[in-house]
Amino acid sequence: MNHPVEILGFAREAAWLPWAVQYFFLIGISTAAFFLSLPGLVWRLPAWQGIGRRALLAALVCGLTAPVALLADLHQPGRFLNFYLHPNLGSWMAWGSFFIPLYLIGLLLYAWLCLRPQLAALAERGGQLSALYRRLAYGGHDSPGAIRAAAVVGALGALLILLYTGMEVMVVEARPLWHTPLLPLLFAVSAVSGGLGMVGLFEALIGQGAAAPLINRWQERSQWLTLGLLAAWLLLAVSGLAASPADALAAMRGSLGWLLSAAWLLGTTALTLWLARSRRDVLLWPALLALHGAWLVRWMVFMGGQNMPKMGASTHIYALSLSPDSVLGIVGMAGLCLTVYIILTSIIPWDDRAEA
Amino acid sequence: MKISKRRQVLALGGLAAFAAGYSETAGRMVGKLLGKDAPKHKTAGDAPEPEFRIDRKGNLEVNPAQQVSYTTCLGCTTMCGVRVRIDRTSGKVLRVAGNPYSPLSTDPHLPMKASVRDSFVAISGYKGKGLDGRSTACGRGNAVAQQIDSPYRVLTPLKRIGPRNSGQWEPISFEQLVKEVVHGGNLFGEGPVDGLAALRDLKTPIDPQQPALGSVVNQVAVLSSVNDGRENFARRFFQKAYGTINFIGHGSYCGGSYRSGSGALFGDMKAMPHCKPDFSNAEFVLFVGTAPGQAGNPFKRQGTLVAKARSEGKLSYVVVDPVLTHADNVASGDRGRWLPIRPGTDGALAMAIIRQLFETDRIDRHFLSFPNAELARQNGEPSFSNATHLVVVEPKHPRERRFLRASDLGFELPEEQRYKEGDAFVCLDEAGQPVFSNQAKGACQLLVDSVLTVGGKEVRVKSALKLLQEEAMRLDLPAYAAACGIPADTLAALAQELAAHGKRASVIAHGGMMSGSGFYNAYALMSINALLGNINWKGGFVANGGGFKDNGEGPRYNLDSFPGMVKPAGTPLGRNVPYEKTAEFAAKKAADKPYPASAPWFPNAPGLTTELLPGGISGYPYALKALVLWSSNPLYGVTGLRNKIAKDLADPKKLPLIISVDPFINESNAYADYIVPDSLMYESWGWVAAWNGVPTKAMSARWPVIEPKADKTPDGQAIGMETFFIALAKAMQLPGFGAGAISDPEGQTYPLNTPEDWYLRGGANIAWLGKEPVADATAEDIILSGVERIRPLLEKTLKPEEVAKVAFLLTRGGRYQPGKDAYDEENPEWMRNPMKAMAHLWNENLGAAKNSLTGKRFTGCATWVEPSFADGTPVGKIYPAAQWPLQLVSYKSALQNPYSIGATRLLSLHPENPVLIHPADAQRLGLEMGDLAEISTPTGSLKARVMVHAGVTPGVAAVEHGFGHRELGARAHRIGKAQQPENKHLAAGVNLNDVGLIDPTRPDKAPWVDSVSGAAVRNGLPARISRA
Amino acid sequence: MSSHPDLSRRAFFTALPAVTAGLAVPAQAAEDSKPHWSMLVDTRRCIACQACTMACSMENASPEGEFRTVVATYAVSTQEGKTGLAVLPRLCNHCEQPPCIPVCPVGATFKREDGIVLVDGERCVGCAYCVQACPYDARFVNHHTGKADKCTFCSHRVEAGLLPACVETCVGGARIFGDVNDPQSDISQRLKAAEGKTRVLKPEAGTNPHVFYIGLDDQLSGRVDGVSAADMMWRPGHQGG
Ligand SMILES: Nc1nc2c(c(=O)[nH]1)N[C@H]1C(S)=C(S)[C@@H](COP(=O)(O)OP(=O)(O)OC[C@H]3O[C@@H](n4cnc5c(=O)[nH]c(N)nc54)[C@H](O)[C@@H]3O)O[C@H]1N2
Ligand SMILES: Nc1nc2c(c(=O)[nH]1)N[C@H]1C(S)=C(S)[C@@H](COP(=O)(O)OP(=O)(O)OC[C@H]3O[C@@H](n4cnc5c(=O)[nH]c(N)nc54)[C@H](O)[C@@H]3O)O[C@H]1N2
Ligand code: SF4
Ligand code: SF4
Ligand code: SF4
Ligand code: SF4
Ligand code: SF4
Ligand SMILES: [Mo]
Repeated sequence: MNHPVEILGFAREAAWLPWAVQYFFLIGISTAAFFLSLPGLVWRLPAWQGIGRRALLAALVCGLTAPVALLADLHQPGRFLNFYLHPNLGSWMAWGSFFIPLYLIGLLLYAWLCLRPQLAALAERGGQLSALYRRLAYGGHDSPGAIRAAAVVGALGALLILLYTGMEVMVVEARPLWHTPLLPLLFAVSAVSGGLGMVGLFEALIGQGAAAPLINRWQERSQWLTLGLLAAWLLLAVSGLAASPADALAAMRGSLGWLLSAAWLLGTTALTLWLARSRRDVLLWPALLALHGAWLVRWMVFMGGQNMPKMGASTHIYALSLSPDSVLGIVGMAGLCLTVYIILTSIIPWDDRAEA
Repeated sequence: MKISKRRQVLALGGLAAFAAGYSETAGRMVGKLLGKDAPKHKTAGDAPEPEFRIDRKGNLEVNPAQQVSYTTCLGCTTMCGVRVRIDRTSGKVLRVAGNPYSPLSTDPHLPMKASVRDSFVAISGYKGKGLDGRSTACGRGNAVAQQIDSPYRVLTPLKRIGPRNSGQWEPISFEQLVKEVVHGGNLFGEGPVDGLAALRDLKTPIDPQQPALGSVVNQVAVLSSVNDGRENFARRFFQKAYGTINFIGHGSYCGGSYRSGSGALFGDMKAMPHCKPDFSNAEFVLFVGTAPGQAGNPFKRQGTLVAKARSEGKLSYVVVDPVLTHADNVASGDRGRWLPIRPGTDGALAMAIIRQLFETDRIDRHFLSFPNAELARQNGEPSFSNATHLVVVEPKHPRERRFLRASDLGFELPEEQRYKEGDAFVCLDEAGQPVFSNQAKGACQLLVDSVLTVGGKEVRVKSALKLLQEEAMRLDLPAYAAACGIPADTLAALAQELAAHGKRASVIAHGGMMSGSGFYNAYALMSINALLGNINWKGGFVANGGGFKDNGEGPRYNLDSFPGMVKPAGTPLGRNVPYEKTAEFAAKKAADKPYPASAPWFPNAPGLTTELLPGGISGYPYALKALVLWSSNPLYGVTGLRNKIAKDLADPKKLPLIISVDPFINESNAYADYIVPDSLMYESWGWVAAWNGVPTKAMSARWPVIEPKADKTPDGQAIGMETFFIALAKAMQLPGFGAGAISDPEGQTYPLNTPEDWYLRGGANIAWLGKEPVADATAEDIILSGVERIRPLLEKTLKPEEVAKVAFLLTRGGRYQPGKDAYDEENPEWMRNPMKAMAHLWNENLGAAKNSLTGKRFTGCATWVEPSFADGTPVGKIYPAAQWPLQLVSYKSALQNPYSIGATRLLSLHPENPVLIHPADAQRLGLEMGDLAEISTPTGSLKARVMVHAGVTPGVAAVEHGFGHRELGARAHRIGKAQQPENKHLAAGVNLNDVGLIDPTRPDKAPWVDSVSGAAVRNGLPARISRA
Repeated sequence: MSSHPDLSRRAFFTALPAVTAGLAVPAQAAEDSKPHWSMLVDTRRCIACQACTMACSMENASPEGEFRTVVATYAVSTQEGKTGLAVLPRLCNHCEQPPCIPVCPVGATFKREDGIVLVDGERCVGCAYCVQACPYDARFVNHHTGKADKCTFCSHRVEAGLLPACVETCVGGARIFGDVNDPQSDISQRLKAAEGKTRVLKPEAGTNPHVFYIGLDDQLSGRVDGVSAADMMWRPGHQGG
């Protein structure tokens, strides 16, 4: 045995907690869902119209909750003001603080414009809330031009978000698992599969299921891409062509935890792919699997990446615990999503019978 | 809009989950609103303001909000001089670093004449002074300040509620404490208990049949730890005023075997003088069972000197140890090497070296040949040995194994002076004629085996050196190598290396000697030094500079004697006297079966805590009636003791009264009936000399640089050892305390009512010792050093001319001889403060003594014996390796000491002590790093986590000491209505002593100790390990 | 009593501010040039006593279990089976090209002219991006403040003309601190004397550290391919702690 043994060592615990995983997961899904809404709601492609509504719902649910998770990771939400008082424009994270509002404004505007006619219709129906609906509808016109314009703002914001979330992580040279150009791509692709998953889920909950083949076709593609990216990374790592992946692989070597996680990720990705491909009509399972995959990629990248010691031999394995920064936080975010979902679906029907 | 019930529930549930998850964040958000988010300082965060500032010209500006004082650390027995930085408002200790005047913390240390202001500049960045004059506190020294504010401190007198060790206490008033302890009575509703007053019976014999045991007062025993500068106060009370003979420190479970081995070499097995390498100038040191940088006394100074010497000086060294230690450092290449050894076999290593030195004729013949100090000095040797003194080896001769004396050859001496100091030894001069050692005119013969006519009879004699040589030649190198597991050529190379550096080489040992053959291992190792002739040489083996005596019959005050002083008498409970003088022996001899004794006796040992407790509880040679534990924790520290006595200790019928004086509840005083709070570290007074390893005189001051936290006595003094003992003395009207207890040379008397009465006058003695008294402290010194706080006490207690001089000592944290005084003025190659004792290559008291179980004689010189039980049976005979394949050893933590566990910053860096085993053993046992294992010895077992690496001798399992606590916070006690906080981390790890062996060969079935020194055996315990 | 000093209260106050002007300039800085603070760690002199670790922790009132410096300690074996102890005192390297700075979204972390890299606690939002970016694991998010924390080279002491706490108390004398712009300083002299033998951690990271090492063990200068006993121990201040 010629490896050094660390008699007294020290590992830093993960500085980005599961909050970060939640944020990246939610914001990624939101942007992807936003894009998925465009064919139906902007270009009004018939096959995509139902999908478009569920996608908009997904973009909203995830887009409204993601920043909450982000603030939690700041340890002190009030501090976000400093982002605007002292921006360091050399930092991707600083840019993120501008992209997020840009995207959210675009998204909300876009959503409102899309929903206006329906709000007006709801106001017509009468009832306690009709005054509110009326005010929200603000005339209730369907204005494709304005929608298109808002979609452009939203799309720009969404693209920038996908760009910055990927770049922010990728530029960290000190973390070999992160420091690869494949990472932003992986984040983007898995965001799409997550988005498809979320849309699929809502489709299953609210919709008729008619869109299932369409969603699954896209899901299949995105899973292929995910596999491709993972394979490319492995190739770079094993061949030693790129230093960081090689480093990261070296750090994983011999770790049962990594082996199992990697096997799980590959297995579930393959399973999602197989389901999406061979059971085109099934919505729920591939959707849940895809969501799980998108989440797992981020968990492994963030928590796993932070486990790899930069110095010394000691690893600080992140252990889930019942603390607010851990399981409670994760459950809490899921709870928030559920609440937002319920509120949104309660005030507005999102099924196909309701007119767009 | 309609929201179904189910959806409402779901939404609310989601919201609730979110609220729970977000609670912390929300809390922080509120914090921000309340202004809690701003740091104390923009970039320095929570760090307090610096204690002072120094500019480019060396000007100093102090921060009036803080106090910086020089006092003494008690983070381990090294007791370094430190500087304590205190926030004046809260009284909180902010940080601790070194005292630049103290050689224990600084190399080279600052001369006393430097002002306090200068001393602050000296540790600053000014001209890089603070780098060269760096004055440090070690990791523990830094962290233990935390213990001051520990929630586990005892701050008020406690009386147990319910049975002993039940963890329930009632706080009682000081008056009640004193009253109950003195007068006894039905204190616990368990029947009458004798108080200290009744037990102070100086007349009634314990046993009229055995008057030698002494009077009833001896049935009160006091156990202390180390002399922390306060011991003489406690001794004044319990020995000189109260009168018990049983007052002992922790020596027998500290490094007793080493000290005894050293004591044998220097001819005093009670005081056990010892030496250390002169690190600054040594060229080669062989450390055996003591690792500089890992532990040792002085821990920090050794670490500093070794680090310096190996990187910039000339030193290279070898550390012989079953465990890889912090003495090793791969970056320093071959300067320091680790040599693994099988536990308990150091005697084989030593005897191999001795043999090799003889065989290659590399012993220092010049040094060895001079039979007295004077002659040696004249011939350029600063010390001398008894190598040439002749020993009677004639079988059956009444003086067999003792030195032939002048009186044996007809020199006239009064009978009572025969065989005492004035009775010279006999040597053969170069012409082969007998000559008295004190009359020799030149070198004497070294290797003598001859027959002399003594009293008309032919008597065979051998020189001490000859006896040692024969002992060494008993086995050959391969045999020694086989015993210790170190190859023969390595052993030979070690001898060669030592010889090559001669007087600038030395061999040192300590805790590694605490094995079943520890005494002889130590004696053999120490004897090598004599053969190298290195004693008192610069770079060689040198004595401690010593201190300045505070409590003697000093130049200002007599703190030694007083009218009515008692001279304790009788047989000590540790049985460290000859068995052959006991009534038991006489009776058994009359019955023609003198051996074995009912339990072993240790005529060549000092006071023994190891033996006192088992004996005192079982009533052999007599029973204890009261036990006082002052800062002492034998149940945690003595190997195997817990197994033997814990149950009995809980039984008030076996030991009616246990009183402890301690700032904490430890494993031992958890069994006490009363716990009296004591001052902790920087709260205490005291005057303490360096334990060893400082060649110049050093006396560190302890004074309350912070206000003691304990409750006050009715007259406003903090409760502590001194105030408690003073109150006891007064309640029993004992001499030596109260009004007029202290006298000065002019015959004036002074009271002893407060700790200051004692310590400040002790300070005056120190200030006036030497050629001239120390200088006066300036007003600035007093203010800058925080002595200002206690200035009124000085003025109240001392004579006016003494105030500024005692203040001078306090402002500098002690009195320290200048560093340049280490070496002799006339002969700079010699030490100025020499070891005066002769080196004994043969020790007649040892050689003539008998094992009290077998009646067999001990060997009178260095030898190799394998680890054995009390009756001489080798351990392996009873516990064969086939069944007990591993040997347990213990090593000191570089971070923890036995009572620092509550310094949670240390714990947060190094939280537990996994047991170290070698990869080869791990593989064999199927164990991996982190596995839980069951470790069993013949006496007990424990569960421990294992750590696996190659830094341990195969076949050895090593336990870092300082963990595995059951108390000191590991258990939450209930005090009155308050429950101490739970902190399970304080119980982390294991304590090797919990599986210490009971010696199966002892009639009293007591813990295994070394048969000569009586010291606890904690190294080389037969053991086995399996996966738990 | 003439030898008896005047110990009045007044003396207390007169003695305290016995200062002259110019205290603004720290004592170690050379007269003419601006200082550039650096540290040299002579690992040969390190005895892994952790005095530095504890002193830093006390000085900076760090939360327990969160350290700005730690002396990692290893048992290393050679191919021939000889085992020894290796140490690595670790702290912030006060890099010349510190990757922790550009990532900070609010510019809270910065490098001063005197070479010290600091965090402005008033501005820091605790996003921990810098923690990720530091190649040396020198940073952490302080549990008490929720903001980035790391070795400051004890700038508050250095500004006061004092030495960093860890340096002051380094038992082995392994830590040398000073101004590399001052050719007379201890550190400059020692760096010169050790010419070519000093090393930095992860030179390939291009960070240009200003903590230099003598006797740095190659296999320890980054992620160590080995096992850690620390992994099996309880960790204070962390989950489940
Ligand atoms: N297995 C194993 N056993 C060992 C050792 C080993 O290495 N391995 N080492 C041995 C050695 S070398 C020794 S010296 C002994 C030590 O053993 P002991 O001398 O019995 O005791 P300690 O545990 O050092 O401390 C005794 C008590 O002193 C108290 N104390 C601490 N600080 C202060 C203070 O400032 N003031 C006062 N008044 N009291 C204080 C504490 O509360 C503690 O309970 O243990 C020995 N036992
Ligand atoms: N860090 C620290 N320093 C301390 C203390 C502390 O608790 N912690 N305590 C102080 C006290 S009270 C004392 S007495 C001194 C003691 O200081 P030392 O005597 O130097 O320390 P120990 O750990 O008792 O024993 C020394 C070494 O002996 C080794 N050893 C065990 N068995 C054997 C053997 O059979 N043969 C040989 N050759 N070696 C063996 C152990 O592995 C250990 O490394 O340290 C003092 N300094
Ligand atoms: S060596 Fe012991 S006495 Fe000295 S600073 Fe360290 S703990 Fe304190
Ligand atoms: S060591 Fe890390 S924290 Fe320090 S300056 Fe370099 S990158 Fe920044
Ligand atoms: S934690 Fe603070 S210093 Fe670090 S990057 Fe974020 S804002 Fe900047
Ligand atoms: S320089 Fe100061 S902050 Fe940095 S490691 Fe040393 S003590 Fe800690
Ligand atoms: S204080 Fe110095 S010798 Fe001790 S561990 Fe730290 S760097 Fe090493
Ligand atoms: Mo000791």
